Amino acid sequence: MTYFEHLPFLENIPAYALGALDARDAVALEAHLQTCAACREELGAYRATSDKLLVSLPPQQPPATLRRQIQRRLPSAQKSARPRVNWSLSRLALGIAVVLLLALNVFSISQVRRLQDQQAQLMDRIQNGQMALVMLSYPHTQSFPIQAENVTGSLLLDREYNNAVLILRGLPAIPENQTYQVWLIAPNGERTSAGLVRPQTDIPFISQPVSSAQDLANFVGVGMTIEPAGGSDHPTGSVVFRINF
Amino acid sequence: MPEIDDVQLIKRVAQGDEGAFLALYDWYVGRVYSLTLRILGESMLAEEATQDTFLKLWSRAHLYLPERGSLLLWLLSIARRTALDRLRLEGRRPTLSDAHDPAEAWQTIPDGNSLSEESHWRSLNFAVQALSPEYRQVIELAYFQGLSQSEIAEVLGWPLGTVKTRLRAAMERLRHEWGRM
Repeated sequence: MTYFEHLPFLENIPAYALGALDARDAVALEAHLQTCAACREELGAYRATSDKLLVSLPPQQPPATLRRQIQRRLPSAQKSARPRVNWSLSRLALGIAVVLLLALNVFSISQVRRLQDQQAQLMDRIQNGQMALVMLSYPHTQSFPIQAENVTGSLLLDREYNNAVLILRGLPAIPENQTYQVWLIAPNGERTSAGLVRPQTDIPFISQPVSSAQDLANFVGVGMTIEPAGGSDHPTGSVVFRINF
Repeated sequence: MPEIDDVQLIKRVAQGDEGAFLALYDWYVGRVYSLTLRILGESMLAEEATQDTFLKLWSRAHLYLPERGSLLLWLLSIARRTALDRLRLEGRRPTLSDAHDPAEAWQTIPDGNSLSEESHWRSLNFAVQALSPEYRQVIELAYFQGLSQSEIAEVLGWPLGTVKTRLRAAMERLRHEWGRM
């Protein structure tokens, strides 16, 4: 390459060193620099000149706050900026007390609910017992004895007012996943559920109304079986007793 | 500051030593802020660019190669790119006044025999101030405002050829002057 062929590239080197050469000229110069050691050397000299421009400015101090701003961006400041858990002894004691109070509160609520359940069951028992007493005092009430292997008692039946109560003694306890189920028996043998019974462990007898949406005159008997908890649509388990009325 | 200290400090910064980082900040912040202020022209923008520059120094310390040049030059190159990026982001046109020249501060010819840091940059700056206003203007717009030769021609209303000639002449003058130091 002759000097005159070099000349356009040489002339562009100062502007290139400053980053001011237009894009098209810069591409051409960069291609030329790949093959021209003399131009690369020239560029090195002008780059040293542009570097000196950088360091030629007189220093000027920024506000002192800038140092603190930068310090706040460093990792140690980031860590210290995170909220600390400062557990003093008094705060720890306060925290434990609050946790204990919450636990006591939860326990108290569960106790109250248990007592309320027991109270409701007791009220049911009293009402059922009163119903049995009323029926016994009523002249039209019929009494049918129940005598089975594990249970004895009576069925009180008042056809006029369509009421019936089972009074059972010695009904054995059964597992939680089972229940006693009362059935009303129609003349054709069809069974209709008349309620679930769970024996009480603290008293030897129960007084259980026989529930029926239909007229009791439509039925000819009553029975009891052991069914899965929640009851069944029709009898599936072993028979506890059966009587006709 | 001796160069060996720069290298030791930047190695410690690369290892996460905040004390070393702050030492470099204290030593060089005046140079960085001066450059960003020269480019951006507003103290608030210059402070932000200075902060960004030093945070880049913190995160990229491991990339510094001593054989490529001094740490100061590397840091100022980062500062220049950071400030020019901000200038483009702001979409601001360059100022055409010569207000950046603190002429009264440079009336004394520096003692060329002094090896102090201050003497060095004052000598360099004196050469820039000794350029004619037209030469200083094209250097300012090209290097400190990031404009291409075509953009300078448009801003100043000069023919492109004139811009090229003056830019080349200004750089040749500085190369010649600084080559004698």
